[in-house]
Amino acid sequence: MEDVMRQLSAEELGALCSNLQKACNKQLRSEEAALFGTLAAYYDKQRTNEKVQDYQRLLAAINADLSNGYAEANNAAEKANDRGAKRALLWGEKASKLLKALMVRYEKQGSALLENTNVWVCEICGFIYVGDNPPSLCPICKVPSFKIHPIQKEAL
Amino acid sequence: MHAARNISLCTKDCVCLFVCPTGATDTENGQIDFAKCQDGCRLCVDACPSHAIYLVPSVYPPPQEKSEAVRKSLFALAKSKAGQERLARSLAEASDDLLFKQLMHAIATSNRVLAEDCYREAGYILPQSEAVTSWLNQLLIEHETDKDFPSDAVRTLLEKL
Repeated sequence: MEDVMRQLSAEELGALCSNLQKACNKQLRSEEAALFGTLAAYYDKQRTNEKVQDYQRLLAAINADLSNGYAEANNAAEKANDRGAKRALLWGEKASKLLKALMVRYEKQGSALLENTNVWVCEICGFIYVGDNPPSLCPICKVPSFKIHPIQKEAL
Repeated sequence: MHAARNISLCTKDCVCLFVCPTGATDTENGQIDFAKCQDGCRLCVDACPSHAIYLVPSVYPPPQEKSEAVRKSLFALAKSKAGQERLARSLAEASDDLLFKQLMHAIATSNRVLAEDCYREAGYILPQSEAVTSWLNQLLIEHETDKDFPSDAVRTLLEKL
């Protein structure tokens, strides 16, 4: 396992650290959360931008997860009878399908899809939603809507 | 084990103030003063009519073991999600269209959550676990000569966890 950890890229390490930051916050350990936040920020800063901006590459990556990634992981979770992993995969696959659907819709409709409305993301499961107000419960993880946040138009 | 208040459930009946033997529940910031709270006392937890107070453990059991195949496939998915976050952020940065930027930031944010959840279920759920602390120790060795790396933050984490 140590070798796997050594091979992680900055973008992967950023997510690993922000996950641990959230876990500390849930344990009400704000000092430890801030320290993991510092580490996550270090890795996010190290992350380099892709030189060639390609919408289709992003769509292809989601498609690869939907055709292979989730099936393989589900297989492993099934064999190990790992219900926690199955839960994450169930939510993740649903959220990924919605990400794909939204990207396909944007390709057809362009900015008209997003004009005079909001874009929302569930902080628990990644559920993405375009609309004036979020649903009162997240349709994927069933968390109440106060954990579904609007994405600002001028976000960094 | 100390008590904590979920302020969104609190109905300000203040029974926790009546029962607390140390005054830990009476603060200006809405949260219980952990330094004053008595380990495992739970008088306020049981007295609260709105179930707005709960106990936060100070010690946690080791997380469930993960099979190597589950770990490997979740790491692969997390890598894909982290890569998609990077692609979406790159697309956002290169564009002047505010609505397109907003969409890409939303996709990046969603992918961050998805990657985090994969790591959680791949065995990195508990900050205090051996998996996390041994990895943090490894980071210190790897970045020994790296001035930009927040080594002090990692050392403090290892002391506190």
